[in-house]
Amino acid sequence: MHVTRRAFFSVGMGTVLSVSACHREKVSRPLMVIVVPSLDNPFFRAEASTAVALAGSLGYRVRVDAHDDDAYRQDNLIDSAIASNAATIILDNAGADSSIAAVQRATRKSIPCFLMDREIAVEGIAKAQIIADNDQGARIVATEFARGLGPDGGEYAELLGRESDTNAQVRTRGFHAVLDEQKNLVRVAAQSANWSQSEAFQKAETILQAHRNLRGIIAGNDAMALGAMAAVKSAGQTGIVITGFDGSPEAIAAIRAGDLRATTLQPAVAIARLAVNEADRFLKTGSTDKTERQLIPCDLVTRTNAGEYGEFEKVR
Amino acid sequence: MTTTTAALPHNTTSRFAVSARALLFMLRARALLVLLALLVLFSILAPSFLTANNLSILAKHVAISAILAIGMTFVILTGGIDLSVGSVAGLAGMVIGYLLTEGVKIGETIHYPSVFIAIVITIIVCMLVGVLNGSLIAKAGVAPFIATLGTLYVARGTALLISGGKTFPNLAGMPSRGNTGFPAFGQSFLLGLPLPVWMMLVLFAIATLVAVRTPLGRQVYAIGGNQRAAVLLGIKVARVKIFTYIASAFCAALVGLVIASQLEAAHPATGESFELNAIAAVVLGGTSLMGGRGSIAGTLIGACVIGVLSDGLVMLGTSEFWQMVIKGTVIVLAVAIDQLQARVQARFLPILLQARTEAE
Repeated sequence: MHVTRRAFFSVGMGTVLSVSACHREKVSRPLMVIVVPSLDNPFFRAEASTAVALAGSLGYRVRVDAHDDDAYRQDNLIDSAIASNAATIILDNAGADSSIAAVQRATRKSIPCFLMDREIAVEGIAKAQIIADNDQGARIVATEFARGLGPDGGEYAELLGRESDTNAQVRTRGFHAVLDEQKNLVRVAAQSANWSQSEAFQKAETILQAHRNLRGIIAGNDAMALGAMAAVKSAGQTGIVITGFDGSPEAIAAIRAGDLRATTLQPAVAIARLAVNEADRFLKTGSTDKTERQLIPCDLVTRTNAGEYGEFEKVR
Repeated sequence: MTTTTAALPHNTTSRFAVSARALLFMLRARALLVLLALLVLFSILAPSFLTANNLSILAKHVAISAILAIGMTFVILTGGIDLSVGSVAGLAGMVIGYLLTEGVKIGETIHYPSVFIAIVITIIVCMLVGVLNGSLIAKAGVAPFIATLGTLYVARGTALLISGGKTFPNLAGMPSRGNTGFPAFGQSFLLGLPLPVWMMLVLFAIATLVAVRTPLGRQVYAIGGNQRAAVLLGIKVARVKIFTYIASAFCAALVGLVIASQLEAAHPATGESFELNAIAAVVLGGTSLMGGRGSIAGTLIGACVIGVLSDGLVMLGTSEFWQMVIKGTVIVLAVAIDQLQARVQARFLPILLQARTEAE
């Protein structure tokens, strides 16, 4: 899971060399530990590489780890960050409730923690929680999904993420806050595909067989939406409305091609920049000058505005 | 025991023998009976379950675990285990993804191999993992569980390293590069059946022939039955074992290629925990984890049970959590019945033999 670490290090090392050449400092530079859920998911990769590049340019030593959405593994990573005398921890956590203890422990050891993308269930421990507003994102994409199904509505299926993940729960709640209001929309199937494209492909194939009148598939992330897209194509069906969540480059390409209806872009790049900048300000001035909870809204990406978005950020 | 049965009157013994034979048959054919029961159950509960279209898709899903399980059967028959198959499937996707989207750089120019060459290279790379597994186990004496656990991580790590964790999208290729056509590998049909199903059937036929009709097959069984005896018989144990791991890796490569082709994309985490599905299919099919006992046909039925169960439950809208509980229960019950069969067989065999001699 730590494959890209070497690449990150080489970026980091480049900055190390240039910075030490300029300042000739004796004191080793402060360590910023960045922990993200995974490095084989495009969203978290974009988040991590943005944070690494910015932290490096601000003069930090950087370490990147992935906890694979495993709270126990996250716990160990936080322990090792404490043991390495990290100056600060930037964390995209492994669960709103299961991460509180780890953040608490680091804070007690006076290592300020900055949460990005996902929140934890309590306030007052982390110095900042810069949260991608998954609830709002789910609502806007669900609204677009309902619009795609048209005034007549019809049957739809839902592909959920790993159901023990906080974000899978938040997203499905957001979807249903919108979709359950529409009386002519009927959810005929709901299956977890564990965020995985290949699992979503198989499950969508089976669901399409069980429900011949299916008119739409709403997916909890882009990988599952792309899997569902492949299943619809393989079944030779057309006109099925599919939406994703995340705003990955592959999904945006599929939206441009007209195969996906919409996705929600979480501004990973902006969130990672904010987290690193606020951590830097806190270490230098002792305050972030911001409230702890900062909700960053997500953007709806459809065929009309797909050209305006790059890798998890608005480019135009 | 013979004394008690000998004391029974003649007709009681034969009636007893008939029911014992029926019981033994049911225990032996348990996987098939479970499969039939599941098919009937889902046909009643889910109206569209028994349509040609759905059965074709079901067969495609079964093919994924069946192909893995057929290779795994040879390994398990020798008394080994191959935990690396899921990772090797993931590796196969990444290798073909790299070859089709990044190409091979020779000097200053980038060459894009044709789809056929890319598939061959991918299969060879994966079979090298099989060679590594087999050599570690047969030559270096590493326990199969540990050796293949090691290659599980090595293959997964390599898959991630190939792209730096990224997904390779657009495996459809480009006409300008002369590498189009890969999607046909997993998506095309032959005589109304998906190509992956044909792969499963052909592999099944070859594997059954090898297991039943060739010296190699008998050697596989002999090694699993009693390795020391096999050595004394002059069987080249190391060579046979290495063959089984190469066969398993070959099957894993096919599965990885099929999935990448169906999705037209390769993700490095593809195939996680596939090895457990394959092992479950083998065990459900009646192959003993101790080696020496089992059949390829049983494995195919086992894979069908797992496939029918998971697709049927999805059609019924069962939640993921219940699916896991049900799948686990079925696997454990199957193995428990396997043990029961062994005991019943030991108990009734003398009676059956006696009934036969009396009939004569």
